[in-house]
Amino acid sequence: MSFPSASCARFVAQWRTARQWGGLVLLLMFTACSSPPPVDTIRMGLASAPSSLDPRVATDAASERINRLLYDRLVELDDAGMPVPGIARWERLGPDHYRFFLAPRRRSFHDGSRLESGDVKATIEFVLEPGNGSPFRTALSLIERIETPSSEQVDFFLRRPDPLFPAYLGVGIVPAEAAARSHPFNSRPLGSGPFRFVDWPTEGRLILQRLRDGQHFSFVLVKDPSVRIMKLLRGEIDMLQNDLPPELAAFLGRQQGVVVARAPGTNFSYIGFNLMNPDTARLQVRRAVAHAIDRDAIIEYLMQGGARPAQALLPPEHWAGGKGLEPLEYDPPKARELLREAGYGPGHPLELEYKTSSDPFRIRIATIIQSQLARVGVSVKVRSYDWGTFFGDIKAGRFQLYSLTWVGIRTPDLFRYIFHSSSLPPGGANRGRYRSADADRLIEAAEAVDDLSRQAPIYQRLQALVLVDLPYLPLWYEDQIFVHRSDITGYDIAADGNYDGLLKVKRSVERAPPASDSQRDNDG
Amino acid sequence: MGNYLLSRLLGALLVVLGVVCLVFLLIHLVPGDPVEVMLGESAQAADREALRVALGLDQPILLQLVHYFEGLLQGDLGTSLHSRRPIATILVERFPATLELAGMALLFAIVIALPMGVMAATHRGKAMDYGAMSFSLLGISIPNFWMGPMLILVFSLWLGWTPVSGREGWASFILPSITLGTALAAVLARMVRSSLLEVLGEDFVRTARAKGLPEWQVIWRHALGNAWLPVITLLGLQLGALLGGAVITETIFSWPGIGSLMIESIQKRDYPVVQGCVLLISVSYVLVNTLTDLFYAWIDPRIRMGKER
Amino acid sequence: MTRFGRMLSLLVLFLWGLAALLAPALPLHPEQIDLQQILTGPNEAAWLGSDDLGRSIFDRLVMGARTSFSVAIGVVVISAIIGTLLGAFAGYTGGMADQVLIRVIDIFLAFPGILLAIALAGVMGPGMDNVIIALSVVGWVGYARLARAQVLSLKQRDHVAAAIALGTGRVTIVLRHLLPLIASPLIVEATFGIASMVIAEAGLSFLGLGVQPPEASWGSMIRDGARYMLIAPHMVLAPGIAVMMVVLAVNLLGDRLRDYMDVRILRPGHAPVSPSRGP
Repeated sequence: MSFPSASCARFVAQWRTARQWGGLVLLLMFTACSSPPPVDTIRMGLASAPSSLDPRVATDAASERINRLLYDRLVELDDAGMPVPGIARWERLGPDHYRFFLAPRRRSFHDGSRLESGDVKATIEFVLEPGNGSPFRTALSLIERIETPSSEQVDFFLRRPDPLFPAYLGVGIVPAEAAARSHPFNSRPLGSGPFRFVDWPTEGRLILQRLRDGQHFSFVLVKDPSVRIMKLLRGEIDMLQNDLPPELAAFLGRQQGVVVARAPGTNFSYIGFNLMNPDTARLQVRRAVAHAIDRDAIIEYLMQGGARPAQALLPPEHWAGGKGLEPLEYDPPKARELLREAGYGPGHPLELEYKTSSDPFRIRIATIIQSQLARVGVSVKVRSYDWGTFFGDIKAGRFQLYSLTWVGIRTPDLFRYIFHSSSLPPGGANRGRYRSADADRLIEAAEAVDDLSRQAPIYQRLQALVLVDLPYLPLWYEDQIFVHRSDITGYDIAADGNYDGLLKVKRSVERAPPASDSQRDNDG
Repeated sequence: MGNYLLSRLLGALLVVLGVVCLVFLLIHLVPGDPVEVMLGESAQAADREALRVALGLDQPILLQLVHYFEGLLQGDLGTSLHSRRPIATILVERFPATLELAGMALLFAIVIALPMGVMAATHRGKAMDYGAMSFSLLGISIPNFWMGPMLILVFSLWLGWTPVSGREGWASFILPSITLGTALAAVLARMVRSSLLEVLGEDFVRTARAKGLPEWQVIWRHALGNAWLPVITLLGLQLGALLGGAVITETIFSWPGIGSLMIESIQKRDYPVVQGCVLLISVSYVLVNTLTDLFYAWIDPRIRMGKER
Repeated sequence: MTRFGRMLSLLVLFLWGLAALLAPALPLHPEQIDLQQILTGPNEAAWLGSDDLGRSIFDRLVMGARTSFSVAIGVVVISAIIGTLLGAFAGYTGGMADQVLIRVIDIFLAFPGILLAIALAGVMGPGMDNVIIALSVVGWVGYARLARAQVLSLKQRDHVAAAIALGTGRVTIVLRHLLPLIASPLIVEATFGIASMVIAEAGLSFLGLGVQPPEASWGSMIRDGARYMLIAPHMVLAPGIAVMMVVLAVNLLGDRLRDYMDVRILRPGHAPVSPSRGP
């Protein structure tokens, strides 16, 4: 705690005002002043803080989004999910041999050293080492060996051909030299990305600098949505993205000096069924549930239009996405009919248990679905758990129905991971224990085709099949909401919610002096 | 006194050991698997097993507990499964915030509760008494998850006096301290009132009054001087609770303390961090209360003679 | 003032108690969702307004009284009985049993209750009975401390000595000769406990352990309402004021009860300062 003279003059002034407030005076005397911010900083409010800024291990959404700013990747995915060159272009020299050429004009690491093929090799080999416990190991485990013919070229030799291989190389590259001496990338990130790490004094405040123009950014953790909004309204943060109750987003839209922007998203919400459970194993039951849920009403009233109905895991604009799929009709009579056929009725009602996380918005949705199902005679018990217990139960198959959202899914290798019968947990995300010979065959057929454009129709057939078999009941893709103060411009909202818009965002005019002279320096 | 000290410290150690063991067992009861947390769902069985062995999670739970204690003796609290940083470092970063907030909340509570309790006691049965006690009931019955945002709305957004959240500068302490300290102030005011009422009837107070001392001196010097022992005990208990129990307040005000760290870690199933938090919380709790007890014993010799405990 | 306050308190408790008892028989629709009425303020159809799913807040308030009272009374009764018995017997017996109880109490106090609650929810599943269990698991400690301290201060008394001399058994002495004397501070403690349990239940809901949808409880209504403070303050005010009314009423009566019984409040602290003084 320091007492810089300028702020202490302020302190005294405040102290005099505060004296009228009795007991508070004593409180104030025990605390110190903060130093003013050295430069203009653009501040973004986050609902959850990144847990690790080491791109080789971090998988939580906040970490991944920020790591995209700090590190460069060999390969990027375009809007349709197709791999395109990042800092390298590639040639397929043989079915299982890829050569990557690093771009001649590329950024150096922020410590000044040049990013070379050895850094790529070291990064990927770290991921492949089982003892390092990297969650990316499975996707990359088809790499047999990596060679570096020159400082500009990296060769990957695969165990089996996979035309999608470049898409898996989205791991941020770290410098080999620093990695060799176990540099703590998790807390002191060092990459070659468009942003440079400045400071991370506490979990809730991360400061980066944009290399292009030296603009500072800080990421401020504010978990409570109401508080996050009040922070925005008061100008303590300049922008925030997502994690807002829809009503609060609408409220913000009516406030002066604040702008709410929306864009269609790709994060996929669904209801998962347990196919090992005698009730939900029956197709009639799953279809009845599907026809009993009025998705349009939920989207219109609860989400205030902030979502689009989903028919498949990957959205239509994705190269492997589900196109032209018939939506599941909201049709309560049909749902009742199906239940009757399945032998349920007033004398023998269908009772289901629906698990959800304790997130208030998820509970709200669960409650609506509960009441919609009650209308067709299905009695649903909603059970909400803290996240860890909930997710643990889902993975262990302890559920009948659950609801979750897939965030940031881009590549169709996910289909094997979610729907193939060899992907039952542990060892996959086929949590509902969906076993379908047809689905397995389609997944394997798609993987065997050595050309992405010919894989697409097979994946579309798979998604059509899934919509019939209903191991997943697709709900919607939630919109991305970006709220900012009106002096902030140039932010492009990404469909998966990443923060790449920060590359171009800027403060348009000179910032007006804040209303209270003492409080603006929330992050110095 | 030496014997008493020794037995108190030994007891404190036992309590900490008990808490650590309990947490260890409890964590294994809760669904959720650290290996899954680290590797994600896609990992293959062999990789899982390898990591399980590397982390020592394949061993029987009692052996794991022994290893944990071995690490503790060497000052090693383990590594976070998520951030993969040493837990001791994380705790050192977080604890000052918790300590400051607890201290400020306590201070706030005392500043509010002492005059209120005294007023109520000296005006027993009058409007002042009812007013003070009703006010204190209000303090108990306002949940802090509502009070926090409400204070922000009024004092930050409308009046613009304090920052909304964060831990930057003196002004940022005010709202969290009030949010956390109000319930304590309410309990404390009642405590001050009742122990003062008890003392006011005693002979020495009557003597003091008979000597013609001014009433404020009778109250603040003689009566309060004798009424504060139970108050100190309560404060000890409450400070201990404040050190670990500020989860909601910390969450609302984005206060980087131990309570919110623990909740996050529970949710992410970052078990080593949960254990570290619980260890720290229980040690500080036990420490505060042992100090209170020792202080108490030092004041009141009957206790250290072993009559009461 | 006192008399008026007392009557008012009784009236408040009586009315809410009646509402809680009769709620299931009343023509209420606390679970009826109306998506078009989300967060609408008080109006003719719903005179306390609608909540975040368009349900009538008034109906939920009446139904929630039932839940909240059951939880609060359940927890207080269970933890008071268990805590008092444990504390009284340990305090009277002394020695090893007493030492063990002291340590167990300390462990419970030093242990973060949140972790315990989550573990219980994970093992037993969320729900109202488990809320009562989880809160009682933590709640008994206060009563045990209080009962133990009281018994310690009373067990040297003449009538106890007389009973021992007559060869009365330990159980009888504790139950017949000590419990009646320590009952009043415990009852007062319990009246205060009821208020804080209504709030505590909301805290547990926050962790996913509480009352499950679509059921209503005052705690969960306050918790949900707090989120819409900026746009729909009516949602938190109605249950907030209801809780406050009940807390004030219970405590006013509790104070009255204490004055009536003229007991010194011994907080669940340590040994009393002047052990020789009894009620």
